[in-house]
Order: sequence, then structure tokens, then C-alpha cells
Amino acid sequence: MNSLMRLLPYARGYVWHFVGVILLVLVYNGTSVLQPYLVKIAIDQDITGPAPNLHGLMDIAGLYLLVAVAGLAANYTQVQLLQYAGQSVVRKIRIALFSHIERQSMRFFDTNAVGRLVTNVSSDTETVSQFFTNFFLSMVRDGLSLVLIVVAMYQLDVRIATYCMGLIPVLFAISLAFRRRLRERYQTTRTRLSNIIAFLAENLAGMRIIQIFHQEERQAGAFAQLNGLHRRASIAEYRLSVLFNRTFELLGNVAVAAVVWVGGWAVLQHAIPFGTLYAFITYIRQFFQPINSITQQWNTLQSTIVAADRIGKVLAVQPDVAEPVHPVALEALPPIRGEVRFEDITFAYTPGRPVLHGVSFTVPAGAFVGFVGATGAGKSSLMSLLTRFYDPQEGRITIDGIDIRRLRLADLHRIVGLVQQEVHLFTGTVADNIRLFRSDISDEAVVAAAKAVGAHEVIERLPDGYQTRLFAKGANLSMGERQLISFARIVALNPPILILDEATANLDSQTEALVQTGLEAVAKNRTTLVIAHRLSTIRHADRIVVLHQGRIVEEGTHEALLARGGLYAELHRKSAVDAVGTGAAGGAAR
Amino acid sequence: MDNPRQLLKQYLVRHRWAYLVSILSIILSEIVMVQFPHLLGEFTDALQAGRVDGRTLWHDTALLAVVGIGYVVLYGFGQMRNGMLGRQFEYELRRKLFLHWETLSTAYFRQRSIGDLLNHALNDVRSVRDALSGGLNILTNAVFLLASTLVMTFRTVSVKLTLVSMIPIVFVPFLVGWLGPRIRNATRQAQEALSDMADLTEESLTAIRLIKATANEEVEQRRFTERVDAIVRRQMGVFRRSALMQSLIPFMGSLAFVIALLYGGFLTITREIPLGSFVAFTLYLAMLITPLQEMGYVFNYFQRASASLQRLEVLLTEVPDIRDEPGAAPLGRVQGEVVIHLDAFTYPDGTHPALHDVRIRVRPGQTLGIVGRTASGKTTLVNLLPRIFDPPPGSVFIDGHDVRTVTLRSLREAISYVPQDGFLFSTTIGENIAFSKADATREEILEAVRNAAFTEVLETFPDGLDTLVGERGVTLSGGQRQRAAIARALLKDAPILILDDSLSAVDMNTEKQIIANIRRVRRGRTTLIIAHRLSAVRHADWIVVLEGGTVAEQGTHEDLLRQGGIYADMYRLQETEQGVTA
Repeated sequence: MNSLMRLLPYARGYVWHFVGVILLVLVYNGTSVLQPYLVKIAIDQDITGPAPNLHGLMDIAGLYLLVAVAGLAANYTQVQLLQYAGQSVVRKIRIALFSHIERQSMRFFDTNAVGRLVTNVSSDTETVSQFFTNFFLSMVRDGLSLVLIVVAMYQLDVRIATYCMGLIPVLFAISLAFRRRLRERYQTTRTRLSNIIAFLAENLAGMRIIQIFHQEERQAGAFAQLNGLHRRASIAEYRLSVLFNRTFELLGNVAVAAVVWVGGWAVLQHAIPFGTLYAFITYIRQFFQPINSITQQWNTLQSTIVAADRIGKVLAVQPDVAEPVHPVALEALPPIRGEVRFEDITFAYTPGRPVLHGVSFTVPAGAFVGFVGATGAGKSSLMSLLTRFYDPQEGRITIDGIDIRRLRLADLHRIVGLVQQEVHLFTGTVADNIRLFRSDISDEAVVAAAKAVGAHEVIERLPDGYQTRLFAKGANLSMGERQLISFARIVALNPPILILDEATANLDSQTEALVQTGLEAVAKNRTTLVIAHRLSTIRHADRIVVLHQGRIVEEGTHEALLARGGLYAELHRKSAVDAVGTGAAGGAAR
Repeated sequence: MDNPRQLLKQYLVRHRWAYLVSILSIILSEIVMVQFPHLLGEFTDALQAGRVDGRTLWHDTALLAVVGIGYVVLYGFGQMRNGMLGRQFEYELRRKLFLHWETLSTAYFRQRSIGDLLNHALNDVRSVRDALSGGLNILTNAVFLLASTLVMTFRTVSVKLTLVSMIPIVFVPFLVGWLGPRIRNATRQAQEALSDMADLTEESLTAIRLIKATANEEVEQRRFTERVDAIVRRQMGVFRRSALMQSLIPFMGSLAFVIALLYGGFLTITREIPLGSFVAFTLYLAMLITPLQEMGYVFNYFQRASASLQRLEVLLTEVPDIRDEPGAAPLGRVQGEVVIHLDAFTYPDGTHPALHDVRIRVRPGQTLGIVGRTASGKTTLVNLLPRIFDPPPGSVFIDGHDVRTVTLRSLREAISYVPQDGFLFSTTIGENIAFSKADATREEILEAVRNAAFTEVLETFPDGLDTLVGERGVTLSGGQRQRAAIARALLKDAPILILDDSLSAVDMNTEKQIIANIRRVRRGRTTLIIAHRLSAVRHADWIVVLEGGTVAEQGTHEDLLRQGGIYADMYRLQETEQGVTA
């Protein structure tokens, strides 16, 4: 409940919309309560009165029409206004949530699965929107009609009205009990249906295996079982909902009979005029709908609270890596040359289990330095610290002598570029993928970047050239082509320092050569730190840093390290033996 | 194959008595229901005329209650029965669909997205079910309620009054029929916008390192905001239409009421109809709007169901392209001789032959190694053997029998197969391995596990063989999946074993073990191994090198090295290529 309250400020700009909705609901409800009342007046005064009056009847009919038109207008405007306000509130929550998530540091993404975050942004917010629309509306509209009906009944006749009040708790109790069970059954059916879907998805994908192993009957049997379970749940759910609706209807009909009984006596004894009885019969029927709908909102409220809790939890997280309080003004400094210095860095992902121990090194501006070591030696962690995906527990990192924690994160990321092993593509054109949707990178710059890394010819060969649409998940580019695109990105952004995490994927020799050329183009004119998986990549590096279990064990040129006969020399020897592992037979054979 | 329309017809015929009972009970309930206003009207008149006393009041009230209860019980019964029958049909239709899919070949699934097929199994089946249960209920209800209400008003109130008052509300079904699909369409668009946003979120968060490293957060926020704005726009499009419908329908009712009030009041004043009739009529009028509105919905229901039936028909009438040929005979005892004499093979959806001029002979009990570059046709070639894709007649033979002339069942019983992706089902590891042999003993399974060099991995799992695979259990790495799939194939113990690049994700050492085990347990039985590491095939009796869909070289390992062709090149490269698999 509290988490829901915390989302209320997002509705602040729309208070007047919600007030407007309340007023319009008042008008609409007023018109619907007025309608039977007008008929009552017509019956009692103009039709059965001592002097039947056609003129009076026409006046009433005209009034009735006016009331109906007012109701129409009020209802239509109300829906628009409410939905606009509700959608706008959710829009604000979504944008706030998304930018909040993007602001989080890497630690957050290590512990929160992307799938769950997507659910938070898309479906949890959708659920919350029901609070601002359906729930709010139901409370106002149904609450109001209930009140109005009660008031109208009391005005007509206190005694009969009091009898009718006895119904309210009964209706609420029945309705709530049914709704709870309906919700359970609905969820059972849903779960079983998704079991069917999961089974189908898997079996259609593996149909070849079923057929080769000749297990059609067995799988059909398994499917029949799931299918049968779903049928059972679905029938049970349907039966309960029929029972619920009919029970309500039954109560309604019995209530009318009861009103006739009680009211009939009153009319007989001339305690009330007949029109009053008529109005009661109408009102008692109108009683049921709002109660039904309010109890339905009870379910909505429950799921909304759950969703708001989940959103609240995400919004409460603060990024580990903080922006500096007094950032260095980058504009006031001379252009970055690109000298990187690590001073005594100690870092642990989980406290007490450091992956880097007192690492220090300096990369001179413009140098090309390779980092090698086994998996878990700490190569990637070093690079994550330079981009401030994480902050080290001890030591500091400087660029041109400036502590990177004194730079604005956005500034730092403009200085340090990163090419990852895995190339992420976005749904969009090739050009957009190179410029990363930035408006400040022109088409010419995109083409120039692609040319620089040798991707231009490859892109031109695509069906629509630079305008070819790519899909994040659909692999409509080969590994090598993806690599080239990620190189072009970096050239277009042109950072003075580049971290390159070499891809491990097998490329055929032609693509390999293409990528190698691209890599050289990217490294030109900037400080480059390469995490190498192939020793051939860094053979000509200005310096090679060898890491082992979080410590630097060797440093030097290729030749110097080989001559030394240490870990590097051993890696080099092993790589030749293991060569069969990265076969030239060409990637994953299809 | 079964046509779903036929299926539906058969189903309706088979359950005709059940449907008759439920429809009759709904009709009966309407007849009871329309008595309600009539009774109220009579009561009003009696009250007016002073003909009511305590006894008749009790009588009338009881009658009202009986009618009210009777209607609910009868209608509820019919509704419930129809709903159950509709759900039974849903069950049968889904079952039919799955059985049908099991007969279709890989070529079929290759051309269609599984998402689409699931959509049919989910939504099309459901919309047929909805029409059959809810739609039928509403239709019966609406038609008979309308008919009996009209009959009642004609008989007991006034034909004139009824007809005149009804003018505004006859537009209701058209309004619903017209606006309904538009609302649905707008809703679909809003949902698309919603999933666009979810897609972008996923894309963006998956690439969060890249976005952060390029200081691109603001650009992503802009892109996200565009998607969110699109949602708001499209949602409002939905609400403009639905608000129109929601407000216009009651308005039509009010219009009818105004006419009833005016004209009915006039008739009452002029004593053409009694007050009771007027009262009853206002109630009848309220009863008329709902069925008219529902007629519009029913129209949409049936329209949708009919489109769904059409789509299902296309699905279910798809003829399996790989099946027993007329006169197909079982294969009998298989020695394991494989002869391929293929001029050309083109995929059903392809334009160029994937294989051409392939001549290979594997003697019974021999091991054949197949190597070659990506897309050289290795997988295609072995897929022809168990007829995953159909070879042209007279091109692939087992023990001298054309695979196309033998029964699928006996052919596939003779072949065991390991796919390159190591496909496993989301059941336990044990069940996966015993997939072809549900009655396999634990010892047999463990033996297969040992031969697939999977024992050590299995021991690290909490429940051993009973560990669930997939989302609810452990996620296996590519190499682990491949080994489980090898165990599954070894347990099948068929005369012919095919390994389709099934060692690509295991390390060198494990590969050596597995190859040694296979050589041992498959001694004297035919084995086909596709590999891209030459170490996996160098001991084969015969090695075929495919290049561009045809046999470029063949011979023993030594022969091929001597020839100094592609194989020799590959061997040299793999020996010397530098790499750190650190």
C-alpha cells in the first residue's frame, strides 16, 4: 500500500483532470438517477394524477431527453479525461523508471535479470495504470451511485429503504467470496494454458527428434495430459463464474419480489403512492451493479499493490557508482591526451573476495597495450574499473593525471570508448546502429567511420545499404560484419582512449583479415587497451601486461616476454598445441 | 486430413442432444423471464383497481420469486452446459492440431515461425471455442429474449407503442457491429506499441554496458520516450472509440425511453392502454437493449471464429510431405550398409541444389567421417538418411533398400541420431536419455551416460538423473547438452548411428574419450560422424570431404593427407593455428 502511495506524486500534474472526472461522474450519475425519478413524476402527476396532463408529460419527456444528452456528453468526456490522465501518469512513471534503471551501475545489472526489469517497465506499470483509471473510476462512480441510490431510496420511503440496506453486507460478502475463488481459478487456468504453450513450443522445435526417435505417441500422450488438465481448470473456472453471475441475478430477482411484497403492503395501506413502488423496483436492481464492480476492483487493487511494490523496489535502489559532487570542468582543460594510470588498485565484486590485488601500471598516451591471462585473471575487471562500471575498493585511476571519480560519468564515457566481445545490435538501420541513434553524428560521418574500418563495402552489399534494417535478435549479419559495425561505432564517436575486448568467436580466414584491418584502423591515433584472446592480435603491441589471479606477473614486449620464459611464454606454447580448438574448418558448422 | 469445419460439424452432430437440451433450457428460461415484467404490470393494474388484498399480494409475490428463480436456474444450466461443450471442443481441436503437427516434416517447420503456430493453437482455437460457448449462449439468449419480449409486448401492451419506441434501439446492433472491430483493431495497435516499448527496453538493458560506455543514456531515454508516447497516442485512440460506444448505447436506450414515455403516456392518458401495461413496457424496453447490443457482439464473435476456422483449416489440411509411400515395406533386420547415389538434392524452399553428385558407400559396420566447411552440405547429407528431408527416389539406400520405399517407422527405428544443438526436452535428464526407451533400466541409462563421458557432470547435479533440464532445473552448457544427446542416441542402440557435429562444444579431452567409447560400443555397427575437428574422424574407416555440396575428396586419413588437398590443408591449419583458449 505504501509503495502505491509513493507513486501518487506522479499524478500531481493531473489533479485537475481527476477532479474533472469526479465532477463529470457526478453529472452522469445524477442523470441516471434522475431518469427513473422523472418517470415517477410523470406517472404520479401527469398520467395517473387527478388531472392527466399531456403538456406536463411533454415537458417531462423534454427534460428526460436533455438529461440523457447531458449524460452522454458527461460520460464521453469523462472517459477521455480519465484515460488521458491515467495514461499520462503511467507515461511519467515509465520514463522515470527507465531512466532510473539506466542510471544504475553494473552491480545492479549483475543481480537483476533483464527479463524482470522489462516486466517492471512494461507490465507492472500497465497494472499500476489500472489504479489510476479503473480503480479510481470505480470508487468514484460506483461509490457515488451507491450513495445516490441510498439517498434516493431514503427520500422516497425510510422504512422500505432500511429493509433494502440489509442487502448491502450480504451482497458484498457473497461477491468478495466468489471473487477470491474466481481469481484463484483464473490463475490456475492461465498457468495450465501456459504449460500447454511451453510444451508446444518445445515440441514443435524438437519435432525432428520426436520423429527420429519415433516417440510421437508418447509426446501425444503427454500433450493430452496437459490439455486435459487445462480443460478441467477451464471448466471449473467457467462453472464458478456462471454460478457467481447467476447467484447475483437470483438475488436481484428475489429482492424485487421482496420489494413488491413490502411495497405492495405499503401501497395497500396508502402509506406510499404507486410511483414510489415503481421507483423502488428500479432502484433495487441498480443496487447490484456497483457492488459487483467495487468487489471486482478489490482484485485490481491487490494486483496493483504487488506491481507497485515491485516498481518501488527498483526505484529505491541508488547507483553504487556516484556522480562527483564537484566535477572537473572538462571544457576548461586542454584536450585529453590519453595517458591512463592505475595506482594500487584492489577490487572485489563480493566483499572479502578480491579479484584484483594492488594492481598498478601506466599506459602512455597513444600506446597500444595488450592484456593477457587465463579466464578469471582479472583482465575484464580492470577494464570495467576504467569505465567506472564499478569503483575499486582501494587505489585510484587517473587519466592525464585526473582521478576519474572527479569526472562526470558522461564525460568519462566520452573519453573512454569500449568495444565489447559481444556486439549488440539495435533494431533499426545500419546507419543508426553505427551512430547509435545520435542526431549529432551525420550520415557523412557514419560513412566515413565505416570506410575507416573497412566496413563500407560490406554494408554497401547489404540489400538496402546503410538503410538496411537490422534486428537485435535476428542474426541477419555475420559475426565478422557485426564486429566491423562495432568498430565503426567507435570511430564515429572518436574517444581518445579505447578498450577493446577481443571477440573469441571463430571467424573464417577472410573475415578474420578484414576484422584485423578494421582493428588496426580503430587503434590508430588513440590509446588502446586490448584484452586479447588470440596472441597474434597483440604480438606487435607496445607492451603486453600478463595477469595471473588478479596480479600483474609480467610486463614487456612480445619478444622480451618470450625470452623471459615465464607465464607468457607458456601461454604462447600452449596456444600452439591447443590450436585445433579454434578450428579453421570455420565457425559452428551448420 | 480433417477439415476443422467438418470437425466442428461432426462435433455438433455428435453432441446434438446435449446441445438441444442446453438450447432448450435457455429458450425456456427466456420464456419464463419475459413473464416477469408482465406479472409486475398485472400486479400494478390490480393494485390500481383495488383488487389486491393480503392473499393475492402473497400470491403475486411468490409467483414473481418463482419466475425469477426459474429463469436463473434454467439459463444458468444451459449456459453452463454450452460452456462445457465448447471447452471440450477446444480440447479436441488442440489435440487434433498436435497430432497433425507430429506428422509434418522438418521442411514444414523450417518455413514457419513457431510463434505463429503457437498463435494458432492458442488464439484461433480459443476464438472458435468462444463462439461455440459464449457466442452460442448469447445468440440463443439474444434471439429468443428479443422474440419473446416482442411477442409479449405485442400481445400484452401495444404493437404500435412497441414498434415506435424501438426505432432508436434497432441501430444498436449495427453500432456494435461497426465500432466493435474498430475498437479491436485499435486495441491491437496499442498492444503492438506496448510490445515495441518492451522490446526496446530489453534491447537497451541487454546492451547497457555499451550504452553506458558511450554515454548514450540520454539517446536511449529519447528513444524510450518516443515509444511511450506512441502508447499513449494509441491507447487514446482505443478510448475515443470505446467511449463512443459506451456512451451511445445507453443513449439509444434513453431515446427509446423518451418515446415510450411520451407515446405510452399519451396512450395511458387516453385510456388506450392501462397504466400496468405502460409500467410493464418501460421494463420490457430495458430488457430489449441488452439482447440487441449482444447481437452486435455475437456478429463479431462469429466473424472472428470463422476467420480462425479458416486459418485452422489451412493448418490442418497441410498434407505431410514425408510419409510412407504406397506399398512401403518394413526394413527388416538391418546390416547397416549405406549407399548414397545422389545426383542432386534441393531443399523444398531452395532454388539451388544443396547437394549434387554425391557417391558414397559405407559397408556394414564401418565408420564414416564427414568433414567440410560451414554450409558445405554435411548436415543436409545425413538428414537424408532418416528422411528428415526426403531424398529423390533411388538415391539413398540402406542394405540395398531405397529409404523412400520402406516404412518410416522401421527406417527410423534403424537409425539413432545426435543433433548438433543437442536438443533436450524440459524433463529430467534420465527421461531425456531414455527418450526412445521408456522402460530402460537405471543401469542401461548410466551405461549410456558413461559412454557419453557425462558421468562426472551428472554427479555435480543435485538430483543426478532426476535433475530437471531447462528453466525449472539446471541450464546445461552446449557441451553438456551434446553429451546428454549422445547418451540418448547410444541408449537407442540402433544399427546406424549419426553424429551431426555433436562434439563441437566439448573440449579436446572429452572428445577423445567419447570417440574412444563410441569406437568400442559401436564395433561392427555403422556409424556416421560429422565433425569439424579432424581429430574426431581421423580414425574413421573412410573420410569424405564435402565442398560446395559435393564430394571433393574421400579416402582414409592417410590417403587424404597424402593427396595434399583440402583435408591436408585443414589438418595443417588446425595443427598450427594460434589461439589461446584461456
